[in-house]
Amino acid sequence: MSRLACLLILLFSVNALCQEVLSFDTDAQRQLYQDLTAELRCPQCQNQNIADSNAVVAVDMRQKTYQLIREGQDRQQVVDYMINRYGDFVHYLPPVNRYTLWLWLLPLLMLLALFATGVYRRSRQTSALETPEVNTSAVELDQLIARYRSKKP
Amino acid sequence: MRKVLYYLPLFAFLALALFLLSGLFSDPRERDSASLNKALPEFALADVMQPDKIWTPSELKGETYLLNVWGTWCPTCNAELGYLTELRQQGVKIVGLYYELPRDPAFDAPFNLAELQKDVQQKLQQQGDPYQFNMLDIDRSLSLDLGVSGAPETFIVDADGIIRAHHIGDINPLVWRSKLAPIYQEWRKP
Repeated sequence: MSRLACLLILLFSVNALCQEVLSFDTDAQRQLYQDLTAELRCPQCQNQNIADSNAVVAVDMRQKTYQLIREGQDRQQVVDYMINRYGDFVHYLPPVNRYTLWLWLLPLLMLLALFATGVYRRSRQTSALETPEVNTSAVELDQLIARYRSKKP
Repeated sequence: MRKVLYYLPLFAFLALALFLLSGLFSDPRERDSASLNKALPEFALADVMQPDKIWTPSELKGETYLLNVWGTWCPTCNAELGYLTELRQQGVKIVGLYYELPRDPAFDAPFNLAELQKDVQQKLQQQGDPYQFNMLDIDRSLSLDLGVSGAPETFIVDADGIIRAHHIGDINPLVWRSKLAPIYQEWRKP
């Protein structure tokens, strides 16, 4: 048991040593790097961000992000740099334009439609209650009988 | 009104089914390239075979050509070399951009140009040599500027150095005829 524990400790310590070590001037820069690598999308392994992916292009993009942050560029500048090369695809927060507007509008419209249907049905139900069903059918029945009688000689 | 409401779920289902059906036949890797209709980014890259020769964008102007991103390590690139060689024989100018893989300092041997040259020569002898010349993108900086996500990828660059097409994946007779040849013909005209 203790031998296994030793082995595990050895294994994980090697793993810890292999982690990338990046140095930043400020904690804000480190935070920015972590945020950006989490929200930039890998163009090769779709549905992974560049922090998760080990594709060559993700490694290069991480490296570039690091370099740009070290040069003092802010979040928007780094994002623009990547979008200029890989398109809107590369950022997990798409810009609002006439194609993507529906992503925000559609849920709202569906909620409104649901609400409107609810109001419509409720108003119909209450109006149906106010005029009793029996009355209308009795009137209709009288009319039918009258029409039937009038046709007879 | 009631009748319309009665059929509404059916229509909604049909619309959803059609939408999902079209998704089955679409290519998730296909997307608009950000480098289309832009000038080739600035670069100064050494020739793979003659490292003293440095290529710059202005030297590549004057003729429409294909810029093919490849590497000997990439099986798909090796597979398309044969067809690209056919295209060269038909008079298409093809320039190679060699996509060198990053090396892990702990596990990989350091970069060795002589070895790479031997590799490239051997591969081109086996499969055919479609390239006028190859530029070595050793840190993949030009590839990053071009929006390359891997190899193989191919660009059509016109005589003024403007990128007119960006194809992700291999070039085969079908892709060439249906997608790239029309663009190439359009921009080859003087």
